[in-house]
Amino acid sequence: MAQIELAGVMLQVDEHGFMQETGKWTEDIARAYGQKEGVTELTDDHWKALNYLRNYYLANGICPMVRRLVKETGFTLKKLYDLFPEGPANSACKWAGVPKATGCV
Amino acid sequence: MTKKKKLTLNDISRNAEKRLTEINIDELIPLPPPYDKSEELPGIKPLTDDQKTRLVDNLDGFNALVLLKPQSKEEEDKFVRQFEAGLKKLLNKGDNWTFLQPLLLSLEHCVRCQTCSDACPVYVASGKQEIYRPTYRAEIFRRLINKFAKPGGKWLAKLKGADIKLNWATISRLYELAYRCTLCRRCAQTCPIGVDNGLITRELRKLFSQELGWAPKELHEKGTVLQLEVGSPTGLRPDVAKDNMEFIDEDFTESLGIKIKTNWDKQGADVLLLHSAGDILSFPESVIAFAIICDKAGISWTLSSDIPGYDGVNYGLFYDDIQLAKVATRHAQIAKKLKVKKIVMGECGHEHKALATVADRLLTGDLNIPRESFITFFEDIVFSGKIKFDPSKNNFPVTLHDPCNIVRNLGIVEPQRRILRYLCPQFREMIPHGVDNQCCGGGGGLSVMSDVNINDFKALIAGRMKLKQILEAFSDHPRPDVNKYLCAPCLNCKLQMRVIFDYYGVQEKSGIYIGGLAELIVNAMVDLKKPFITWGEE
Repeated sequence: MAQIELAGVMLQVDEHGFMQETGKWTEDIARAYGQKEGVTELTDDHWKALNYLRNYYLANGICPMVRRLVKETGFTLKKLYDLFPEGPANSACKWAGVPKATGCV
Repeated sequence: MTKKKKLTLNDISRNAEKRLTEINIDELIPLPPPYDKSEELPGIKPLTDDQKTRLVDNLDGFNALVLLKPQSKEEEDKFVRQFEAGLKKLLNKGDNWTFLQPLLLSLEHCVRCQTCSDACPVYVASGKQEIYRPTYRAEIFRRLINKFAKPGGKWLAKLKGADIKLNWATISRLYELAYRCTLCRRCAQTCPIGVDNGLITRELRKLFSQELGWAPKELHEKGTVLQLEVGSPTGLRPDVAKDNMEFIDEDFTESLGIKIKTNWDKQGADVLLLHSAGDILSFPESVIAFAIICDKAGISWTLSSDIPGYDGVNYGLFYDDIQLAKVATRHAQIAKKLKVKKIVMGECGHEHKALATVADRLLTGDLNIPRESFITFFEDIVFSGKIKFDPSKNNFPVTLHDPCNIVRNLGIVEPQRRILRYLCPQFREMIPHGVDNQCCGGGGGLSVMSDVNINDFKALIAGRMKLKQILEAFSDHPRPDVNKYLCAPCLNCKLQMRVIFDYYGVQEKSGIYIGGLAELIVNAMVDLKKPFITWGEE
C-alpha cells in the first residue's frame, strides 16, 4: 500500500492518492490535497461541496451521483470543475477523504 | 533512432527486472487531425519513484495490476509452482469442464498463419508491437501447457525447440499481458480454423485468479466480491439504489413534465429489467428512458432490490469461473423468486454474454428463465405501433457502436439498425461495423480498470481504432458546431469512450456526445414535449 504525508499525518492511499482510512480525515487534509492541485485556499463553496460529499458517503457508503451533487449544492458541473481542477470524482471525492469510486461508474 | 530488436517468445522469461518493450507514442498508427499531434496529448504517465520500488514493472511501462514485488526467492518460487499446477488443472476435465473443449480446440489447431494479427485492434493500433500480437501471448501459453501439462512434455519441448522457461519473469509478465487484450474476439472470428485467442487469454486470467489468487482488484475485491456482499461493484446498497431511483424519478418528472415512477419487486411482472447499477449512477437518463418506453408500451415491468438484482454486471466473465457462476445464479434465482416471465438484459454487453451465452450451461431446470436482449425487446416495441414517433426530432448525425459481446458474440446485428434507420434521419455506419466492428478498447474488464496508468493504454492503444472510426463516421461535420450522437448501447463501452474522450478532449474539439439506444427512442416520441437528449446541458 502506498503512503503519503499530508498535513503532518501519514496516510494509507491507493495508487491515485485516495485515502483508504476515511476516519483519519481532517479539514487540514482537505486543504493539503487542494494545495497539491494548486488550489491554495478552500472557499465556502469548496466546503459546501466537500461537506455534502463526505456526509453523503458516510451515510450511504458510496459517493453521490453527480446529478445529485449538482442539485444539492446548486452548482453547475462547470462550476464544480472550476472549484475542483480534476472534477467531482477525481478531486472533490479525494479531498473529502473518501475512497475512489469503483465499478462501472 | 535505433531499430528495435525483434522480440522472441523466449524473451518473456529473461531479465525479470527489465521491461520487455517500451511504447513510443509516435510509433502508434496515426489519428486524423486535430488528434494527430502527439506533443499536444497527455502522453503516458510514468510510474513514480515510489511505485517503481514497490511494483512489478517488467512489461511495457503500463501498469494495470499493481502486483507487488516479491520479498524473497521462495515467494517467487511458490507462485511459479502454483502456476504450473494451474496449467495441469486447465487440461483436467474435473477442474475445467466449462471451457476444456474450446480450450483444447484453440490449443491444438493454430497453424501460425497470423491472419488474426491484422484483426487485433490492440496489435494494429500499436503500430504492430510484437508484444501485443495475439499469437505472442497465446503461443507462449500453448508451449507452457504442452511442456508442463502433457505427458513427456518437457522432453518433447526440448526436441521440438519449443522450450519456454517457467520462472518469475514469465508469470509476472504473462499476468500483466493477459490484461492487454480486450477479449473482443475479432481474432477468433477471422481465424480460418476458429482458434480463439480471446478464450486463451481468459483461461490465463482464470488460472491466475483461481490458482494464485491474482486478480485485478476492480474485478475481484471491488468487483464480484462487493457485488455478492453489498449488491453492486459500485458499492450501491439496495436502500441507496431505491433512494437514488426515487431522486431520479422526481428529477425527470419535474424536468420532462411526465410522471415517472420506478417499479420495485413487482411479483409476477412480465419483465425484470436488469440494468447495470452504473447506469443508475452515471447515466440515469438511460434507466429513465427504459421506464418511459415500457410504460408507453403498456408493459408490466419491475426492477429488483434483492442483492445483486439491480446490477446486471458480472465481472466473473472476465477472469474467474466460480465468481461468474455465483453472480449468474443469483440473477436467475432473483428472477425465479419474482416469478417474472423473462429477464430483459439492459444496455450492457458483458451481461449479455454472461447471462445469455455462458450461463446457458449453468442455468438449467427452473433456473432457465427466458433472457432477452433489450435490442430485440425495443425493436418489437418501436414497430408495434403503440408509440407515436416523430423522427425529425432526431435530426442530428448519429452513428452506432456495436458492443462485441452483443453483436459479434450473439449475432444481434439488424434490429438496432432497423430502429436507427427508422428514427434517426442522419444515421450513418462506421466502417467496418456489425460483426466486424472494432472494440471500444474497454472490453474484457478493462473498462472498469483504472489503476496506476492503465487508462493511458486504453486511450492511446486499445481504443485507438475505435476513436479513428468514430471520427471518420462524422467526417462531414468534424467541428463542435454540430452536435453529434455516438450511440453506444453498452455501459462498459460508454465508460471506455468517456476515458478516450477525456484523454483527447473529443467532446470539446469535435462535439461528439456519448449515449445509448433507449435515449434516442424516447427523444423521438411525439408525446414528449421537451427534448430528452440535452447535449450535456443540465
